[in-house]
This record gives sequence, C-alpha cells and structure tokens, in this order.
Amino acid sequence: MIRTPSRKMRIVQYIILVMMGFVAIYPIYFALLAIGRPGNSLYTLDLAGMFFPTSWSWDNMRELLFTTPFITWVINSLKVATLTVILAMVVCTSAAFAFSRFEFYGRKSGLTTMLALQAYPGLLSLSAVTMVLTAFGLYGKHLGLVFAYTTIALVFCTWNLKGYFDTIPIDLEESGMIDGCGPVQSFFLIALPLARPALAITALLAFLSGWSDFVYASALVPAPDSLKLAVPALYGLANDVGVPWGQFAAGFAIVVVPTMILFLYLQRFLESGLTLGGVKG
Amino acid sequence: MVGMSNRRKALYVFIFIFATMLGLLIFNVYPTILNTYTSITNRNKFRPYPDCDVTLNNVLVPFCWPGFDIPQGTGGKFVIIEPLKENYSKILGDVFTVPGMVNFGLVLLCIVPIVVAWRADRRFDQQIERRFSRGVVWLLGGSIAILCLLVFGFSAWRFLFNSGDFMAVLLRTIIFVILRVPLTFGIGFLMALIVTSPGLPVRNFWRLVLFIPWAASSVAILTSLIWQFFFREQGTINQVLDLLFNIKGPVWLNNPFTAFGVILLVDIWYSYPFFMIAILGAMAAIPNDSYEAAEIDGASYWDQLRNITMPLIRPAILPAIVLTSITAFQMFGTVWAITQGGPTAGAGKPGATELVLVYGYKQIFQLQNYGSATAFATIIFVLLFIATMISLRVSRLTRGVNE
Repeated sequence: MIRTPSRKMRIVQYIILVMMGFVAIYPIYFALLAIGRPGNSLYTLDLAGMFFPTSWSWDNMRELLFTTPFITWVINSLKVATLTVILAMVVCTSAAFAFSRFEFYGRKSGLTTMLALQAYPGLLSLSAVTMVLTAFGLYGKHLGLVFAYTTIALVFCTWNLKGYFDTIPIDLEESGMIDGCGPVQSFFLIALPLARPALAITALLAFLSGWSDFVYASALVPAPDSLKLAVPALYGLANDVGVPWGQFAAGFAIVVVPTMILFLYLQRFLESGLTLGGVKG
Repeated sequence: MVGMSNRRKALYVFIFIFATMLGLLIFNVYPTILNTYTSITNRNKFRPYPDCDVTLNNVLVPFCWPGFDIPQGTGGKFVIIEPLKENYSKILGDVFTVPGMVNFGLVLLCIVPIVVAWRADRRFDQQIERRFSRGVVWLLGGSIAILCLLVFGFSAWRFLFNSGDFMAVLLRTIIFVILRVPLTFGIGFLMALIVTSPGLPVRNFWRLVLFIPWAASSVAILTSLIWQFFFREQGTINQVLDLLFNIKGPVWLNNPFTAFGVILLVDIWYSYPFFMIAILGAMAAIPNDSYEAAEIDGASYWDQLRNITMPLIRPAILPAIVLTSITAFQMFGTVWAITQGGPTAGAGKPGATELVLVYGYKQIFQLQNYGSATAFATIIFVLLFIATMISLRVSRLTRGVNE
C-alpha cells in the first residue's frame, strides 16, 4: 500500500494498535508487578496497583531464591539444555552435510521419513520412551532427558542445516577436492565454518526446545526435587496452594522473560524463512 | 561429491549419518513401534510389566531382552489381548457400527452442497458472461448445507459425541481448530495491514510489542498460568468487573462454554503474531509498482486489498495455515495450565476443554490406561500422518529434496 490513510482511518488504526498492544503486553507486565506484591494481596483489587508498582517488597523473590531449590532447578535446566545442544549439534551436522552433498540410495525417502516421524505426537509416545529409558537405567536421570531432547532436536537440526548447506556453493568444496581434500576435510574445513550463522540459530533453537519443555521433563524426571527442571518445577510451585502466587511470578521473570527476549531476537530470522519450518506456529 | 568409488562413498555416507540414524531408531522409531504394540496388549496400572514368556513381548519389550532386568515392583504382567482390536473398539465405541456410519454419512452429505457450489462457481467463472453471480451460488450452496446440518446435524452430533471418548475428543478438537485458525488469521492480517500502513510512526516498536505473545508461547505452560490467574473466580477479571460495573463475574473455568472460550482466546493470543509475521514477510515481497499502477487506474483501498494484496500473499500463507492447523490440533500446554481439560460433565467423561493431546496425557499419566491410550495414539498418528503428508504437498517444504 502506498496511500497514506485518511485522518479518520488513522485514528481507528491507533485505537486498534493501542488495544492490541495492551493485550499483548499486559499479562507479562502483570506477572512482573506481582513479584513485588506480597502474599495474598493479589486477591484484593487495587486498581492503581494493577498498572503501577504502588508498593514493592522483595519477599517473593527472596523466598523463591533462598527457601525453594529454585537455583538448582535453573542450573539443572541449563545443564540439560546445554548438553542437548552439544549432543544434537555433534550428531546432526554431519548427517545434514551428507544429506546435502552426497547422492545416495534412500536420501529423499530418508529426509521425508524423518518429517513423517514427527507426525507422531511426542507426548503420546512417552509411555514407550519411558520404557526404553527404564530398560537402559536412564529413567529419572538427566542423561535420559538429554537423549530424549536430542532426538526431538535431531530432525529439525538436520533439516535446517541441510537447507543451509544447500545454499553454500559446491564449487568451494570442489576446488578443495582438487587440492586433495577428502569429504571429511571439506566438511570440517570448508562447510562448517561457512555455515556458522545457521549453526548458531539451530543451536539456539535446540537449546530453547530443551529449556522450555514441560511434558518430557515432568514425565521423565518426576522426582526428587533436587533433580527437577525449572519449567515443570515452577509449574508445580504455581499450583501449590501453600505457596504465594508472587513466588511463581518471580520465577516467571527469571525463566520466561529471558526466553522471550531470545525469541524476539529470533524473529527476524523467522521472517526471512530460515526457521519457519523448525518452530511451532 | 563426484569422482568417488561407490564403496567409498557408501562408507562416508554411513559414517556421516550413522549417529543420527541410531538416535532416531532408538528414541523415535522404536518407541513408535513399541507404542503400537502396546495398543494390542492389556497393559495398564495394574499390569505394568511384560510377561516375557509370551511371543512378541520377548521380542519387542526391552525389559525382556537378555541383559535387561524387569524393574522391581508389584503388579501383574501384561499380555496380548484377544481380540486384538479390543482397545480400539473400546475407544472408538460404536462409530464403526451401522448407525454410526449412517450418522457419519449424513454429516458428510451436508458438505456436498458446499463442494457443488465451489465447483459451480469455478465453472461460472470460466463463462464469458456469468449467468449467476458468486453471491447467489454460495448463498444457495451454503443455505442448503446449513439446512442439512439443522435436519441431520443435531442427532448425528449427539450420537457421535456419545459414541465413545475418541469421537467426543476429536470433534471438540476439530471445532477448536476450525474456530482458531480463521480468527488467528484475521487478527494477524489486520495487524499486518495496520503495521505496514504508510506513515505510521515507530513501526518497529509496534511490531515488537505485537510479537510478544508469540515469544511467550515458547513457554506456554507457564505463561498460561497468568491467564489462568486472570480467569479464576477471584481473579483479576472478576475483580475488575466487580469494581467497575458491580457485576459478580461468572466462574469462567467451571462453565463448559466459557472455559472453552477462555482456551480459545488464550491460544489466539499466542498465535496471531505468527500469522502477522508470515503475512508481513509475504507483503514485503509484493512489488510497490502493482500498487502504483492500481493507484493510477483509480483503484480504491479495498480494491487494492482484494485484488493485489490478498492474491499475492496467498501462496506464502497457505503453508502457514496448514502448519498452524496441525499445531493447533496438537495444542496441549495452554489447556493443561488453564483447565487441565475440565470442566467435566461426569466422572470418567472427557471434559469440555479436553483436546486430543490433553486426553492422551490424562490417559497415560493420570489413569495409566496404557493399552487404550496407545490405541488412541495410534489412531491420532494415522490422522496426523495424513495431515502432515498433505501439508508437505501444500507447503512444498520438501521441494529442496527433489532439486
């Protein structure tokens, strides 16, 4: 559109924008305000307090950090998500390279099958995954969770990176081969360094998929408290009648807000279509 | 890679993809097979461990393999059930009996007028002089379809809804998807139009703000708890209603209709930015010349919207619609955080917001009906598999493979 809208239209536009902007922000802002509201004061209405921090106390934050194992949960989550990224990236980059560069029997069907496998909702196969992990002695341990997350990450890592490798001109590797580069060398010395931006985005997405997961974490590491991950543990905290809701809000600010900032940063890559297939709609 | 002997190439391919394939086989393919196998056994809360003397148990269940131990615990042993389809028939109820099929057929019959109207419209489009206008064709087709639904729909609906958990849950999920996707698309489109409107100051700020819900959806299970707090009996919304209008607000999450509405609202909140971004991307690719030419020809804003913007963003938006439909179908976190599938009409019946995955989660983790839950999973997988294949076709996500 090139025509500047009329004055009346502009006002309508502003009204819609402000309303939608308010709806988009307010729940998050409400949670941030709730950090400072002690105990049950959330259940008594205070119209000004809904929009401005009229009174502020750090009690919720203090109790969350020092009376609950919250820090342990965050460390657990960071650990599991980081291990997932490392394992997934080590495993899938070479596969993506092979799918991009070699012509072999079963290449097309292999790639399509990987996507088709994703049609099985992970949540519904959890009872079987639990059985497999129990047999290996990994049920209830972080390592089992890392394996489960890695498998989820593998498919979109492979697809994403394969797509990126496809955009790197093969001429570079061919000239490398003339100079005596084998496939392994051309993978490590030529393709990987060139794919650095895609590697970073893919690793970030793999990290976030492990960091923000609820279902697997709550099912595969249900107890004890010291092994729980941040998201399911916070969920449990919010549903605990004995714990003030403000503590959950404090945890929300620490766990979710940084995640949101990362996602906002990822937005421009989403727009360029690089990751459109890899994230949920 | 050229100039390599076949055997060496095979070796390299094997080395490169071995680890990925192994991981997928152990943690993806094999659990799928095991799940499908469980759906023909009587595994449940009281029979969690396999009877390793039974054929297939000793081959498929990992506890029975040499070197692995059956976990210690009390409880019976599960075996294959007779007849094999028992779990499936328990879930499907009487959908596949004669009255079920008749009811199904009657509902499907009501789609026929819509299809006829669509085909007729295409046909009329090809004529030089349209005999009937588009509105007339669609009005006729649509009203016949609605009439048909009014006549057959209610009884068929009641029958299918009471025919077993599966149909009740599936129909509810389909309604959810049908309501959510167009609404999300509409809001996303509107916001994209406003954000791109020329002369809007701080455009990028608005973009960022409107995008926040999508960022929050990555941890939907926690963000939804805030919404749940809003809609509690003593939550923020009822407080405001009480203060400003002196109304005692309803108990939102205890009424089937309002609970469903809340779920729908929150999920729309999460997902409109996805459409907004997809549409923004598609709109950026439209050359400005088209609008300039239209402007010179005196086309109004609506003309430009209808004849330039809409057709040109369609190819990019279609895949997004299919993708979101599939993700909406698999929605879990939002419902689980807000209603946990409730409110229920009676014990043992799926609740008003119990969508497909919520039902599966409850069956597996709360009731531990592994046998029937996996049967359910298998049917859902077949549906999703078909949908995924269609979406791959439509979105041409795999086109890179074939080049």
